[in-house]
Amino acid sequence: MLRAFTRSVLLAGTLATAAHAQSVEFTKDKFGSDKEALKEALRELKAGDDAYQSDPPRYGAALPHYLAAQQRNPDNAALNTKIGDCYLHSGTKALALPYLQHALALAPTADPRAHYLLARALHLNAKWAEAIKEYQSSAPVGGGKRAADGDLTVTAADIQRRVQECRNGQELQKHPVRVFVDNAGPEVNSAYADYGPVVAADEATMLFTSRRPSGPNAPKDPNGDGYFEDIYQTTWQGKSWRPAADLGPPVNSAGHDATVGLAPDGQRLLVYADENGGDLLESNLKGTAWGKPQRLGSRINTHAHESSATYSPDGRYLYFVSDKPEGGRGGPDIYRVEIEGKGPAENLGSVINTPYGEEAVFMMPDGQTMYFSSEGHNSMGGYDIFKSTLVNGRWGPPENLGWPINTPDDDVFFVTSASGRHGYYSSDRPGGQGGKDVYRVTFLGPAKAPALSEESQLLASRLAPVAQTLLAPPVAVATARVTILKGTVTDAATRQPIESSIDLIDNKLNQVIATFHSNATSGKYLVSLPSGTNYGIVVRQDGYLFHSENFDLPTDATYAEVVKDIPLKKLEIGVVIVLNNIFFDTGKAILRSESTAELERLRKLLAEQPTVKLEMAGHTDNVGKPAANRDLSQRRAQAVVAYLTQHGIAADRLAAAGYGDTKPVAPNTTKAGRQLNRRTEFKVTGK
Amino acid sequence: MPHYSALIVWGLCAGLLAAAPARAQVDSVRASTLPGRQVAEKAYNAGLASYTAQNYPAALASFNQAVAAKPDFAPAYANRAATRLALKNYPAAVADYDQALKLEPGAYAHYFGRGQAHEAAGQGPEAAADYGAALQANPAYAPAWYNRGVLRFEQGEYQAARDDFDGAVKADPNYAYAYHDRASTNLRLGNYAAAVPDYTKALALQPALLPALLNRAAAERRTDHLPDALRDYDAYLAQKTDNPLAYTNRGNARFENKDYAGAVADFDRAVALDARYAYAWNNRAAAELKLEQYDKAAADATEALRLDPKYAEAYLNRGHAREMLRQADEACQDWRQAAALGLAVGNDYAAAAGCAGDAAEAPADKAPAEAPADKTPADK
Repeated sequence: MLRAFTRSVLLAGTLATAAHAQSVEFTKDKFGSDKEALKEALRELKAGDDAYQSDPPRYGAALPHYLAAQQRNPDNAALNTKIGDCYLHSGTKALALPYLQHALALAPTADPRAHYLLARALHLNAKWAEAIKEYQSSAPVGGGKRAADGDLTVTAADIQRRVQECRNGQELQKHPVRVFVDNAGPEVNSAYADYGPVVAADEATMLFTSRRPSGPNAPKDPNGDGYFEDIYQTTWQGKSWRPAADLGPPVNSAGHDATVGLAPDGQRLLVYADENGGDLLESNLKGTAWGKPQRLGSRINTHAHESSATYSPDGRYLYFVSDKPEGGRGGPDIYRVEIEGKGPAENLGSVINTPYGEEAVFMMPDGQTMYFSSEGHNSMGGYDIFKSTLVNGRWGPPENLGWPINTPDDDVFFVTSASGRHGYYSSDRPGGQGGKDVYRVTFLGPAKAPALSEESQLLASRLAPVAQTLLAPPVAVATARVTILKGTVTDAATRQPIESSIDLIDNKLNQVIATFHSNATSGKYLVSLPSGTNYGIVVRQDGYLFHSENFDLPTDATYAEVVKDIPLKKLEIGVVIVLNNIFFDTGKAILRSESTAELERLRKLLAEQPTVKLEMAGHTDNVGKPAANRDLSQRRAQAVVAYLTQHGIAADRLAAAGYGDTKPVAPNTTKAGRQLNRRTEFKVTGK
Repeated sequence: MPHYSALIVWGLCAGLLAAAPARAQVDSVRASTLPGRQVAEKAYNAGLASYTAQNYPAALASFNQAVAAKPDFAPAYANRAATRLALKNYPAAVADYDQALKLEPGAYAHYFGRGQAHEAAGQGPEAAADYGAALQANPAYAPAWYNRGVLRFEQGEYQAARDDFDGAVKADPNYAYAYHDRASTNLRLGNYAAAVPDYTKALALQPALLPALLNRAAAERRTDHLPDALRDYDAYLAQKTDNPLAYTNRGNARFENKDYAGAVADFDRAVALDARYAYAWNNRAAAELKLEQYDKAAADATEALRLDPKYAEAYLNRGHAREMLRQADEACQDWRQAAALGLAVGNDYAAAAGCAGDAAEAPADKAPAEAPADKTPADK
């Protein structure tokens, strides 16, 4: 087979037809002075024609001669057509294609068969669309009988059927069956045709037919298809088959001996013998030797061609193929006969048998599944293998085993193991050992869906958590917006604690809010001053000059404690009292209204002590020019004096002095210090 | 005394935070006249500030101080619970919420918080009950609906979950997560067409919610809108290129689109991003099976199994590859192993291939499964 395939490729190259090429005849014009070559070519041509035109044609015998002639003249259209035709009738039909393409190119109209034969070759090469096109270009040929020149009869119905086969093929090839098709290997197959495998139910034993030479002097089939058929046997040894052995006599004879069927237990073998038009025989295994095949009875074998048979699993029935015309539906049909019965064989009916040929019947050991080959049904060309299942005693519609088990060529003699996992058949395909080979089909079943995995992130909060903490809100903290003023009131001279009155004054309202007393014994006092008020604090006691403090507490002033010890001074000349509750606008000498209470206290003091004389003194911090500070302090002191005189105090009891920043009571380096230095005070100058 | 009365009046007018009137006493201050020290309140507020700053230990210390100073201070217990929740001390958080609820019975916020603590502790039923109690107290609080819906979803109670997500979007029509998760629930319920608009709404409300693109794509794949699905995957991957899951899922969509080479390219990206992502290895093996690259498929499935020795689908795929590589015995072993891990179809394959031996039995905790065209074993 390898050889043949290589040759096909080479021919495809050498047969390329030049544009406008014409057919070259076998004449002196072509061969010129090489008369021997012409003579040899014509001799081969004639030998080929003798075989080709015989009745029946002997294509196998003709082909070598034609090929030899073609070597001398590759461009003769008729010869290429004949070679193609021979291949179409061989076991290597696909090789016909390049010859027929070349022939048609050389002489498009010379041969009425050309399109049909090319269509056949394309068909057999599974070139479905091209084949349909060529079939549709074909016209019916011949008058119903093969002509002496090798012409053939092609009816319109034939062409239509072939087109349908191509369409079947197109459809089946779209859905290839999942199988491994493995060559049975060199232990089984040879360079010659090996086919017709039959296996025991457990696949332990296989017998098959081979056209290999049975020995050095083995005679060849005069039809040119190799050696005579013989039966070979092999056994499975775990991973491969043992080398096949010739079954030898008495099973194999000098003529054609071919396998037909094997009982499921492997103990009975059905063989075909080319006798009486083709009959079926049975051989029994005795120990390890097969007995002489015995012809099956006349209810099976007729003068017609009985070619194939299978036992029912229970051994009760024999299914066989015969082309006997009686009871047939056209072509070979499948019949069933009860082996031990007396009734005639019965045709399996139109569900199985068609007007075309049925062949190679095989019953699975389950008794419910039958395989057979048919040219009918939805064959894609030639015989295809079908499967039918027995349901309620009736055979179901045959199912084409599909591509690539079936091909456009004949696919026959298909058997399976009991498990159905494997099938065996013969096929002629690239990569074999040569000719038809036995192949093992492993059914993989429907396509197995790959398993994909996928995960999802379906919950948003799991993927991107969002804090949803509900916190209780802040609570209102009643911050102690209050200033605690505490201290001890003493006699400034003796430093002894004294009882005193403490007036709490709202300077803005010019009202006394409350009056408290320091402890008579300890002199201690404590006043709470809520924020938000400009307080004037006046500590007073009879016989002492009053002491004033100011606490201007804004609303947001937080809790504070201020310790202020207050030494009360007696009315003595030279005593100086700071008036902490006299307020001026910034940079001006205009008394603000908040000063009123303090001014009134001063006026009252002067009214109650009519002999007292005071000097009102103004002081500033050191911010700004000294002269300006002195002027400002002077004017402020005068403003106080003016108030007092305007409220009934004699002017001669009062004096005003502006000291500017010359008499600080605290460093001017801090804000607090500067605050202390900005003050209004009086000094007792007379009493 | 008239002055004293006047002072009270004045004090009352002095404002909320400065309510104390001016008082004076000799030698001492009467306590009632000044604000208390308010240790609890100050500590509480400090705790809140610390919590907000995510300084949870400091927050805890402050809340501890607050409840120590004021044992009936319910908000302090609640916020300490929240702090403990943040610190993953779930039992303590639950205890604090318990205390807060004792002091403030029926407060929905405390129920909700305790629900969160239970949930974090893996106590789903208790959490769901608390969310339910929160909803009893305040049906308008959307997060309680949402959180309970999430729990129900995770329990496989999809119908109830969808009802909760309905409640969430009713309470808050702008709740993107609720739309998203309601869509996911519909996905689980097989209402794929209903899922798509909810994912769309979630995206409209929150365009950065990119997983909605992936999930909408999943819904679109199931409603025969494969081109839309592929567009969504593309949109996601245009914005986020570091997610092996997204590449893997787009690869699956391409696989469904019979673009096996494109699928392989996506699985390539996924394994490049995360070489430990077993799904990507397995799925690439699946695509390679389609491309009839059986050697590669077997190798990728083997890597998936190295990463996850219990990965049934990878056994199944490697079995297929090995069958096609004519490694029949090894294929049989893989199919049997897939069946033993819960994919019953492995036994069918083994039987059809004539594998020797008995069918493998799936572990009791695994329901028999058919060949999984789409598996979502790890929804997150």
